[in-house]
Amino acid sequence: MADKQVVKRAKYKSSVKDPGVAGVLKMRMERFVFVPNDPTSATKLNVEFRTIKGHKFTKEGSSKQALLNLTQDQGENYIFEFDSFSDRDACREYVATAIAHHSEAGRLVNEKSNVPVSNEQLSRAETERRIKLLQENSELQALHKQLVFGGILTDDEFWATRKKLLDHSDSRKPKQRLALKNEMWSVKPLSDGQSNRVTFNLTPEIIHQIFAEKPAVRQAYLNFVPNKMTEKEFWTKYSRAEYLHSTKNVVAAAAEAAEDEELAVFLKQDDMLANEARRKVDPTVDMKADEGDDYTHLPDHGLLGDETKDVLESQYKPYRRSFAQDLNQHASVVLQGRLVDELGDTRSVAEALARTKQAELSDEISNRNLEKELSDKICRMAEIEDLQGPRDTAVAPLSIKDPRDYFDSQHANALKALGDAGTGTKPLKSSVSSSKAYGSLRDLVSEIRGTGLSDPIMSHDVALKVLSGLTQNISSTRFHLGINPNESVLNRLPKVTKEELLHHWTSIQELLKHFWSSYPITTKYLYTKVTRLKDAMSQVYPKLQEIKESVQSDFRHQVSLLVHPMLQALDAAFAHYEADAQRRSSKSGERPNGFT
Amino acid sequence: MKFQIEDVTVYFPYDNIYPEQYSYMVELKRALDAKGHCLLEMPTGTGKTIALLSLITSYVLSKPSNPVKLLYCTRTVHEMEKTLAELRFLHNYQVKHLGPSARILALGLSSRKNLCVNPSVVSAENRDSVDASCRKLTASWVRAMAVENPNIPTCEFFENYEKAASDAVLPPGVYTLQDLRTFGKEKGWCPYFLARHMVQFANVVVYSYQYLLDPKVAGIISKEMQRECVVVFDEAHNIDNVCIEALSVSVRRQTLEGATRNLSRMSQEIERLKATDAGRLRAEYNRLVEGLAQRGNLPLGDAWLGNPALPDDILKEAVPGNIRRAEHFLSVLRRLVQYLKGRLQTENVEKEGPVTFVASINSQIGIDQKMLRFCYDRLHSLMLTLEITDTDEFLHIQTICDLATLVGTYTRGFSIIIEPFDERMPHIPDPVLQLCCHDASLAIKPVFERFQSVVITSGTLSPIDLYPRLLNFNPVVSRSFTMSLTRDCICPMVLTRGSDQLPVSTKYDLRSDPGVEKNYGKLLLEMVSVVPDGIVCFFVSYSYMDGIVNSWHESGILKEIMQHKLVFIETQDVVETTLALDNYRKACDCGRGAVFFSVARGKVAEGIDFDRHYGRLVIMFGVPFQYTLSRILLARLEYLRETFQIKEGDFLTFDALVNSDIHRQAAQCVGRVIRSKADYGMMIFADKRYSRHDKRSKLPSWILSHLRDAHLNLSTDMAVHIAREFLRRMAQPYDKTGGMGKRTLLSQDDLEKIANGVEDLAF
Repeated sequence: MADKQVVKRAKYKSSVKDPGVAGVLKMRMERFVFVPNDPTSATKLNVEFRTIKGHKFTKEGSSKQALLNLTQDQGENYIFEFDSFSDRDACREYVATAIAHHSEAGRLVNEKSNVPVSNEQLSRAETERRIKLLQENSELQALHKQLVFGGILTDDEFWATRKKLLDHSDSRKPKQRLALKNEMWSVKPLSDGQSNRVTFNLTPEIIHQIFAEKPAVRQAYLNFVPNKMTEKEFWTKYSRAEYLHSTKNVVAAAAEAAEDEELAVFLKQDDMLANEARRKVDPTVDMKADEGDDYTHLPDHGLLGDETKDVLESQYKPYRRSFAQDLNQHASVVLQGRLVDELGDTRSVAEALARTKQAELSDEISNRNLEKELSDKICRMAEIEDLQGPRDTAVAPLSIKDPRDYFDSQHANALKALGDAGTGTKPLKSSVSSSKAYGSLRDLVSEIRGTGLSDPIMSHDVALKVLSGLTQNISSTRFHLGINPNESVLNRLPKVTKEELLHHWTSIQELLKHFWSSYPITTKYLYTKVTRLKDAMSQVYPKLQEIKESVQSDFRHQVSLLVHPMLQALDAAFAHYEADAQRRSSKSGERPNGFT
Repeated sequence: MKFQIEDVTVYFPYDNIYPEQYSYMVELKRALDAKGHCLLEMPTGTGKTIALLSLITSYVLSKPSNPVKLLYCTRTVHEMEKTLAELRFLHNYQVKHLGPSARILALGLSSRKNLCVNPSVVSAENRDSVDASCRKLTASWVRAMAVENPNIPTCEFFENYEKAASDAVLPPGVYTLQDLRTFGKEKGWCPYFLARHMVQFANVVVYSYQYLLDPKVAGIISKEMQRECVVVFDEAHNIDNVCIEALSVSVRRQTLEGATRNLSRMSQEIERLKATDAGRLRAEYNRLVEGLAQRGNLPLGDAWLGNPALPDDILKEAVPGNIRRAEHFLSVLRRLVQYLKGRLQTENVEKEGPVTFVASINSQIGIDQKMLRFCYDRLHSLMLTLEITDTDEFLHIQTICDLATLVGTYTRGFSIIIEPFDERMPHIPDPVLQLCCHDASLAIKPVFERFQSVVITSGTLSPIDLYPRLLNFNPVVSRSFTMSLTRDCICPMVLTRGSDQLPVSTKYDLRSDPGVEKNYGKLLLEMVSVVPDGIVCFFVSYSYMDGIVNSWHESGILKEIMQHKLVFIETQDVVETTLALDNYRKACDCGRGAVFFSVARGKVAEGIDFDRHYGRLVIMFGVPFQYTLSRILLARLEYLRETFQIKEGDFLTFDALVNSDIHRQAAQCVGRVIRSKADYGMMIFADKRYSRHDKRSKLPSWILSHLRDAHLNLSTDMAVHIAREFLRRMAQPYDKTGGMGKRTLLSQDDLEKIANGVEDLAF
């Protein structure tokens, strides 16, 4: 069984009917490799067993071929035809062990019975769900292995913090929706400085945003293009209007609008917006309703207010548009999320948006639902939270594609905040023998002796080049971090260090989570748990130091920056533990239960 | 939970109660027992409203022989909604535990604008036009005409409601405005008139202050409330201002022009009526001779705004002979308007008392005090006779008559101030004549006299002994509670320098300094990346906010801020601000987080709560302006000095008044972050002037008590550090009951022990 590897002749087939490509199949514990006999053939395979989910095979003795079918987790199949059934069986057995080796699941089921304290009889479904979760998430699995089998946490404790994950019926929970970019498109006219021409850049994304934020422009587009003007003309006109707004010259805007009625559409205040604004709002913030009861501010009653409204002649009123208005509208559109997912051509985007808006406004039933939702929400809000037990609210779960992204950007921020530029990070590749170095140095010295120092010592150009090169390199860590996902600090580290760091990070997170949630200590059980956790954490501590010291000097600084917050968090926990222990011992006499 | 306070069993809808809530209830019960008025101060975030509601409803339930009605007054409609939501929560709890016998009828009442369900009426722009459009459909003469001529439109909801007559009742329950509208729509009854009718039978009525304090409205709505009422003024720190404003009138040029238009329109109507139906005018004249200004009880739809003077001060005698004829009355009004026009042309600020003013009117245009006093009644009668329905057009002449009536009725406690221009903009002529009331006790006096218990309560009523003097009443209970906190859940900081160590301030010389703007921007930028959920920023004025936000936009700071959170901003348009607020809350709810830019004296600062995740941090950019020395305030102080015989040197009242204004500003801006003891929030006062003791001492004491010396002179980076630490501390679990020595949360067992005298309520 423990054969290092198995090598057999076989044919690789993309399907059962396929005649197949003849070649050699090599299997090792980690991977299998298929090399076709014909070196020109492109069907080379190199697949990790980790990704293989299962295997199927044809029955012996039948007239069928000796086939072995390996199923990958993405649903891909690898079919091999062997010369004989014995060959096939050798491979089959090898595959079985390899899969078992890689799939932790099998082992976990076996080991489940060995798991330390399990004081609650788990339902079968529950156990299965847990196993499934572990299978799906290798990081979780590693963590589980370390903490639960390491005896630091019991299985129940481990899962208690992941109730949410276990609740698989998240279909009723609202799904997270993508939003538009929270960036306002402002007219930054690019002027070439020579002529009076200004240019604007519009992308489909920006157009989508404009349509979503400015219903009047959307409507105008549907009305004007392409019957009245071309798309280009339309956007030119729009840009002109935006430009006029950006100059904040209301009078000029009014004058231009008077001459050009299409331009006027863009310059005037958005009436459709005002209509859309008439929707139901939470009555506990409805200041509009307050006006209905305000009898002291009848025109001319009461005392004068403090704030003076700015005076503008009525003819210019429709052309006044405040930045505040745009800001609010922008934020509300972003909040609403992406109504149109596909960025097709401009017209279809406009139409789709108009349709959804229309549907929203006319939907009576949703209106009633909204009212109900609002009144529910107000009821919830009215409660005083700490006088009552906690209550679950339906919140869309935050789904970050890869939690590591978050981790990276956090550290990038930390780096930025420290204002400390990581030193040049490109490893210098040079290998010079000492004699060579000495020789070249001697040559240099003799040369200088001969010619004297040139004046200037270095040419300006070279100096400048070096300086700017250095600056760029220094600042690159500062500015590129967190922006380009492929260039995070972590990815530059040696792979071992990176893996180790990440592993410690997750386990520390988990330990801390358990640690803090055990406070205030009210029972003996919590007390022992905290002690256990503390011991585990103090074991991690030296390991982190070790990592810090073990890395190459190039990276040491960055690694220490990464490790620093972890150490800090651990320190805080230790401090809390100490303080609590002290308090506890000081009054242990009268208060066995203890309070924080 | 359920517990005893002496002979009353209190049903409280939570499992636990704060000790201060308990003490609050004990004091409140003493006041109810004594059938007297009381004054209770308790900081926000301690659940005043629910304590108050549960005690009073439980009090009524325990003493069924003595049914007391609760009139709960809020400042705004949205506070009304919040109160009703808490009441509903309480009511559900009580019904669950006591069965149907605990059922009560509770409803909110507001104007037609907020209650009408007739789409053609409610679409009108403002309250007055909604009122007028309603009247066009429901006035008695319109309905009479509609009987003969089916083409005349009426309101089906009102007709149905009238048809249902005494059957039109609300079943017991708690009704918010929305519930009333829904109920009205279902039944086809007008919710507004239904609610006004049901107010007489309801156990709890929640409405705005003005429905009790402003005689123009109270005369119509709250006329029939019986003595057995407990009146509660919540958030009452501003109550004196409401009282004063209820009796104040201001007249501008536009008012006078409008009034002139109104007068000519009325004279046309009179001419028309003379030609078509002279009998009606004669009938009115005869009625006035008999001494009836109004035709007895008006039909529901006809009632308009009431007399601006307080009910006790309205003369119950015949209208003077020289204004009984419609034409004569109109000519009197014309002369009055002309006179006021002349007064507005002054170039200097003028200030005089009502007596001098009336005397000068009498000598110059021959209108005596009694005629002035009857102006309102006479106008109202004339409008009814002329069957005018578009009342929103006639607000100008109404203003003039209100002024005349008030000036004719009151000889002291008022003054007339004429200013030719706004002090802040001396180059723009904008003359205004203001009749200012100085005596807050005038408007509230009838309330104290009519109702057995009046409860004035708020988060900040300090100095608490000032209010009985300002409002002229004797409370049987006057107490101020402090909040016992389980942990340091508020973190005020004073930021004096930016990250570049240069001072920040909105002081005149620094205000438009780009460095200061940049430092403010950087501060916010740092904070948005550290603080979760909602952040609220207050600026000193709209113009300053506009300026700084624009400059942040141009310098790209705003863009960076938007990478962390959504940005919303208060504007002068209420509809838009409401929408922005709603969106802000949504953004905070969904975890996106947002920043709200607001103005320190704006509507948002005055009435919107930013508790829990809606406001983890409040940044106050600069010190709010204080127009403390406005002429009106000075005149008021002078009056108070005379009436309360407070010596010049003793500036208790003066200081209290001036400071209470700033107090209120600051408290309003930052004091709304805490909803419960589990809640937490930070406040940053970003101006170097806050590090001075005199500025700082004006902040509410509960904030000052948390302001550590080390947090008095911070720069941006230090503030960020403190914020990080604070948030980390707040995220840690803690013992809610307070554990050591101080109890901050009581369970039913604890309360029983206290009642049995086993334990003391030590806090």
